[in-house]
Amino acid sequence: MTRVKICGLQEVEHVTALDGADAAGFVFAPSRRRISIEKAARLAAELPEGIEKIGVFVNSGLEEILEAVEKVPLTMVQLHGDESDELIRGIPVKTIQAFSIRKLEDVEKLNRSIADFVLVDAPGTRFRGGSGKTFDWSLLAEAAVDPGRLIVAGGLDAGNVRSAIDALGPYMVDVSSGVETDGKKDSHKIQEFISLVKDDSMQNMKETKVEAGFFGRFGGQFVPETLMKAVKELEAAYAEAKEDPEFQKTYHDYLKEYVGREQPLTFAARLTEAWGGPKVYLKREDLNHTGAHKINNAIGQALLAIRMGKRKIVAETGAGQHGVATATICALLDLDCVIFMGEEDIRRQQLNVFRMKLLGAKVESVTKGSATLKDAVNEALRYWVANVEDTHYLIGSALGPHPFPTMVRDFQSVIGKETRTQILEKEGRLPDVILACVGGGSNAIGMFHPFITDESVRLIGVEAAGEGVDTDRHAATLTKGSEGVLHGSYMKLLQDENGQVQEAHSISAGLDYPGVGPEHVHLEDIGRIEYKAVTDEEALASVIGMSRLEGIIPALESAHAIAEAEKTAAGMGRDEILVICVSGRGDKDMAIYADRLEGLA
Amino acid sequence: MKRLAAMKDKGSKAFVAYIMAGDGGLDKLRSQVETLQRSGVTAIEIGIPFSDPVADGPVIEEAGNRALKNGVTLDKVLLEMKSWDFEVKIPLVIMTYLNPVICYGAERFAESCKEAGVSAVIIPDLPFEHQRLVSPYLKAAGIMLIQLVTLTTTENRLRDILQEAEGFVYAVTVTGITGVRDEFTEEVKAFMKTVRAKSPVPVYAGFGISKLEHVDLLRDDVDGLIVGSAIVKAFHEGEFSGIQPLIHAVTQTYPV
Repeated sequence: MTRVKICGLQEVEHVTALDGADAAGFVFAPSRRRISIEKAARLAAELPEGIEKIGVFVNSGLEEILEAVEKVPLTMVQLHGDESDELIRGIPVKTIQAFSIRKLEDVEKLNRSIADFVLVDAPGTRFRGGSGKTFDWSLLAEAAVDPGRLIVAGGLDAGNVRSAIDALGPYMVDVSSGVETDGKKDSHKIQEFISLVKDDSMQNMKETKVEAGFFGRFGGQFVPETLMKAVKELEAAYAEAKEDPEFQKTYHDYLKEYVGREQPLTFAARLTEAWGGPKVYLKREDLNHTGAHKINNAIGQALLAIRMGKRKIVAETGAGQHGVATATICALLDLDCVIFMGEEDIRRQQLNVFRMKLLGAKVESVTKGSATLKDAVNEALRYWVANVEDTHYLIGSALGPHPFPTMVRDFQSVIGKETRTQILEKEGRLPDVILACVGGGSNAIGMFHPFITDESVRLIGVEAAGEGVDTDRHAATLTKGSEGVLHGSYMKLLQDENGQVQEAHSISAGLDYPGVGPEHVHLEDIGRIEYKAVTDEEALASVIGMSRLEGIIPALESAHAIAEAEKTAAGMGRDEILVICVSGRGDKDMAIYADRLEGLA
Repeated sequence: MKRLAAMKDKGSKAFVAYIMAGDGGLDKLRSQVETLQRSGVTAIEIGIPFSDPVADGPVIEEAGNRALKNGVTLDKVLLEMKSWDFEVKIPLVIMTYLNPVICYGAERFAESCKEAGVSAVIIPDLPFEHQRLVSPYLKAAGIMLIQLVTLTTTENRLRDILQEAEGFVYAVTVTGITGVRDEFTEEVKAFMKTVRAKSPVPVYAGFGISKLEHVDLLRDDVDGLIVGSAIVKAFHEGEFSGIQPLIHAVTQTYPV
C-alpha cells in the first residue's frame, strides 16, 4: 500500500492529526514553512509511534544536517539542492533526493541518484483533475524509474492523489499545500488525504467486484443447481469476451452504426434558466435506436450468446423497453426470442407489446403475483431452467446472479464514459452532481460507474416512491428495503418480516421492482451514492416541465431523475454543473400521459 | 436418517413425500404427516411457502400461494412441529428457499429446526458455493444439509458436492432438453447411475415423478424417489388414496 508523507508541519495540533500517516516532514530550508531544529524536536515528540521523521534541506552543510538528525532525531533526510554524492554518503540515515522533472534528461539524472529514494516534484504542474496542466508521466515510464524507490510530490491533493497512485504506483506520496487552507495546515484535510490513500474501500470502489461476483457482501450466485453450469459458463465466456479486442470492436461498431452512438450531452438552457441554479446537461439516451438505454446491454449480451453458440434468447421486461431492445437485436441477428412480461405491464405498455410482436418475438403474459416485473423475472428464470442448454437469459437490469450485474454495468458504462469525455470537452471539468433513475439500476450504474472514484462528483440515484414511501405502494427499495436474496443475488428487497417479497408499485413500469442491483446496495452501504425517492405525481409534473422547456418528452422512469434534479438544483450555485441521465423517451408512456396529465386527452 | 443408509445396504427403496406446509391451513399439517407416516413413506419433506419459488412448478407454487394466504410462515411451521406429541418415526426434512431463512436468521433457524425435530434441510437456491452462510449453524445443531445435483452438474462439481453429501443426495431428473421420453429416460438413467456410483450416501431422484411408469423406469438406478406435486395435488383435492399405489410401487421389497 502506498505510504503517505505530510510535509511542512509547524504546529502541534497538526502533528497529532497524523494518525495513519507514514511520515512527517520538517522543513529546515528557507521557506514559509521553515522551523528550527528545537521546534522540530518538540513536534517530533508529539508524533504517533512508528512515523518516519524526515528533515528537508536545500544545500545545507553536512554539519547542520547531522545536528538535526541527532537532535530531532530524524529517521530520514530529504535533499532538494545540488548536494554531492559525497555529502549523501556522509548521512547516517536513509536519504531522499528530490528532482524537478521537465525533460527526459532530468529523469536520467534521477536514475543515477545514489540516495535510497527519489522524489519527483513537478513544479507548476498538477495532476489530472487539477489546473488542466498535466505532468508527462510517460517520461518516468520511458526512463524505467523503479516505483519501489519513487516518492511523488507536487500539487497533490484529495482530488487527484488516487489518479497519481493509479498512474505510478509509487512507494510514497508527499503532500504539503494540498492539505492546507489559507496557507496553514488543516487537520481535517490531512485526515481526508490520509484516508483517501489508505482506505481500502476506495480500492473496492474502483473495482467493486471483490470475488466470485460480490460487491462488498452483496451479489453472489443464488440460483438452483440446474443453472449453476450456465452461470459459470457465462462467467467464463464474458471474462474472455471482455478482454477480446475483436468482441469489443464488434460491440462498439453496433453501438455506432446501429444504435447511433455517441449520444449528445445536451445543454438544457431553458431548464437551467427556469431552475435558476446550476448549468443543467442532459445525457440523451432517449435518442438511442428503440428509445432507451436498454439496447446498449441487449446488443452486448446477444453478441455474447452467439459467441457461446446459443441462438435462443429469453428475457423479461417491465416497461417493455428491454423487451423491445431484445426483440430488436434478435431480429437483427436472427435469434429466437421469448419475452416474459407481466399482464399488468402489458396493459400499461401496449405499444411496446405491439413492437415486440412486430419484431418477431413471442410475448408471454405473466398473470402470477402482481403481474409485473418481479413475476416476469420468475417466469423467465423458470423458462431458463427448463431450456438452459441452448438458451441465453438476457437480463435487462443490473440484477441477477453473477456475472449479470457486472456484465450489464459494463455494457451500460458507455453512458458514463461518453458523459465524462463530453463534459470535460464542454466545461473543462467534471460535473458536481449526476442523477439517474433506479429500478433494478442499469442506466444508473452505467452512468455512475465511470465517476465512482471521482470523489468530487455527487452521485444521486432516484427510486420510485409511488404513492409515497410511507404508504405500502412504492418501489423505493434502497430507501425502505432490507437485505435478502431474490433472483440470484443478495441485495436489498421490499419484504415482510417473514422474508416474503412484497409487491412494488410505481406508475412507471420500468421502476416497478421490489429489489435493486447488488452494486447499488454496496455503493449505498459504503456511502458513495445517495438514493432518493420521487412520487408518481412528482414524476408526472416533471414530464410537463421537460417537454415544454426543452422539447424533450421523457420516459416516466427518466422523469423521476428529472424531478429529483429540480430539488437538488435548488441548493446549488450558478457556477455548478448538474447532469441528468435521460434514460429513455416518453413515446411508450403517451397513454398514461393522456390519462393523467390535464388537457391532453 | 441413519435408517436411510441401512435401507440402501439392504437394497430396499425409499419413498420421500413432499407436502406444502399450511396448504389448506396449518392445522392440516399434523394429520398429513400422520397419514403419510401410516402409508409407509420413508421420509417427509415439509415445504415452506415463498413468494417467489423459482425452482417450483405451478402445482407447488399455487399450494404455496394458498399457504401464504393462510398466513403461514417459517416460524409458525416450526412452532407447530415443536408442539407435536405423537410419535414421529421417520425423518422430517424442511424444504425452504433461502430468503425466509436469512430473514429468520440462519443460527436461529438451525436451533428452531432442532427443537422442532427436523433431521435435515433442503435449500434449492443455495448453491454449494454459498453454503457456508448456513451450514456451520446446521452442523452445530446436528441437522443435515441435503445436497442437490442435476443433469447439468459438471463432473468436477459433482465430485465436490458429493464429498459434502450427508443424509441423501437429491438428484434432479429434469433436463433442459425436451424430447422423446425414452431418450429423456436414458439420459436420466445414465445420470442416476453415475451419481449413485460416486455418492457416499443414498441417491434419491426427484422432480416430475408422478406416475407408476416413472417409478418403473427409474427404480433400479436409484436408492429412492421423491414425489412432490402429485402428493400436494392429492391432499389439495382430498384424494390421497390415489397415492398409495405409488408408495407401494417404490417401497415394496420385491420389484415388479
